Amino acid sequence: MTRRSARAAFSLLLFVLPAFILYLIFLVIPMFQGSYYSFTNWDGLNKTYGFVGFSNFAEAFREDSHFRSAILFTAKYVICAVVLQNAVALLLAMLIESRRRAKGLFRTIFFMPNMLSVIISTFMWVFVFSKVIPALSEYSALKFLDVSWLGNPTVSFWTIMIVSVWGGVGTLMLIYMSAIQGIPQHLKEAAIIDGAQPYHMLRYITLPLIAHALTICIFLTLNSSFKVYDLVYALTGGGPGRGTQVITMNILEEAYQGNYRYGYASAKAIILFLIIFVITMIQVTVMKKREVEA
Amino acid sequence: MTRRIYTGLAWLFLLLLAVYFLFPIYMAIVNSFKTQSELYKSVLSWPKSLSFDNYTQAFKKANMMRSGLNTIIVTATGIFGIVLCSSLAGYKLSRTRGKLSNVLFMLFVASMLIPFQTIMVTLTKMAKDLGLQGSPFGLGVVCAGLGVNMAIFLYHGFVKGIPRELDESAHMDGCGEWRAFFKIIFPLLLPITFTIVVLNMLWLWNDFLLPVLLLNDFRDYTLVLTINMFFGKYSREWSLILASLILSSIPIVVIFSIFQRWIIQGITDGAVKG
Repeated sequence: MTRRSARAAFSLLLFVLPAFILYLIFLVIPMFQGSYYSFTNWDGLNKTYGFVGFSNFAEAFREDSHFRSAILFTAKYVICAVVLQNAVALLLAMLIESRRRAKGLFRTIFFMPNMLSVIISTFMWVFVFSKVIPALSEYSALKFLDVSWLGNPTVSFWTIMIVSVWGGVGTLMLIYMSAIQGIPQHLKEAAIIDGAQPYHMLRYITLPLIAHALTICIFLTLNSSFKVYDLVYALTGGGPGRGTQVITMNILEEAYQGNYRYGYASAKAIILFLIIFVITMIQVTVMKKREVEA
Repeated sequence: MTRRIYTGLAWLFLLLLAVYFLFPIYMAIVNSFKTQSELYKSVLSWPKSLSFDNYTQAFKKANMMRSGLNTIIVTATGIFGIVLCSSLAGYKLSRTRGKLSNVLFMLFVASMLIPFQTIMVTLTKMAKDLGLQGSPFGLGVVCAGLGVNMAIFLYHGFVKGIPRELDESAHMDGCGEWRAFFKIIFPLLLPITFTIVVLNMLWLWNDFLLPVLLLNDFRDYTLVLTINMFFGKYSREWSLILASLILSSIPIVVIFSIFQRWIIQGITDGAVKG
């Protein structure tokens, strides 16, 4: 190495050092520690613990019915959230972009929930479901609203979905809007001259040309919905019973609420990481291939 | 004719969705002005009088002054750390060619795939060992550690658009590397810095899970944690809770209304480039 390149490398390291130290301490080391502890029976306090191989992973899949049902519930949530959030966001983006007036107003309205803390806005929804809707259902025309929105796991799933779509579409809508604005005007005009109906426009012009936005948005929603916590915590607390418990909640319960099985909780956390990693990698690879250039 | 039907349907859809989006916020605001007994008698009606009693009470009982200050400390510490460390690293990584630089950059980018949930247990322990648990400042430092990777990625991309000649001319003029960075380069990074500040402010201000794990004493609580505690404590006094919900949302909504255009720009850029 010449003196010059050695000096360049040294100055590179100096500039990167502060960020690298933070990154090492708060991301890399915890990640490695977590992977390591997932093979032990550490309880978080004791200095001594044993190496248990894959038995934590085996237990999580074979014996832990709470964890299994949390995975199933989360999977159901992910599928519905990804589909509904993207469908509503795309619909909103197209509706707003096709308006000439009040674009900014509508954009602000639909983006508003993203400004608020999930905990705080979900408490507003708790008020709506526990006080406002019961009051509405006293009118005979709205009798069908008289269900146990937060007390029955089957209904609660859809309650969670209502709030999830409400809070999740804002950012996606903005991304779709900017993608739609990027569609060349001449393509739209040519399609209209050729007599394309709105459905054809969507199928053959809009969707193919915003494919990159679809890739990003589906990646974002997959990521965020596998990790969902705040919303379910504030709305149902995972209840009734464990009826709406999501994976994150199950991990926290294992690590802190009475159990203190850090090693086992770490194993579950690694499982969550692997699930998200594999699924998003497949999604991005498959969808990248299908994108086209305008 | 079909075109008019489509336009009509479009407006109808938009209005229905707008009602869905505004409904909880509207209900929360209206009911936050009612007295407790008035709220229980009729949730749907307008408040009889416009009284701010609930608000002054919520402000005092929920200790908003203190928790607001804590939230500001967390947000400011986190953002300062992220912007300072990542702009230095992102700039230099983007400017330096070679294996070392590429490997370092890839390490930062790859870590963006680590879900917070996977590291939260060990991260909490790490924060405890370093004495960062139990203080808003410590929480801000931990947040800075979690936020640098994405900010480096955004800075790295942005720096590519700044001509290299600027660095060289600064060098010619006898400016040291560090001075050149702060005097000449950093001001040019302001647009992307703004995006990074916005994205991280939304995250830090509203975060819940990490503060729950790191802050144990209610005197250190951020706004969101205080509201969460308040909700548990006064769960039947809806008028008071609603006032606290509205009150704690006001700062971020005000900031949003002022900077709306840039914030929307920042979020789109952040997502598309991230």
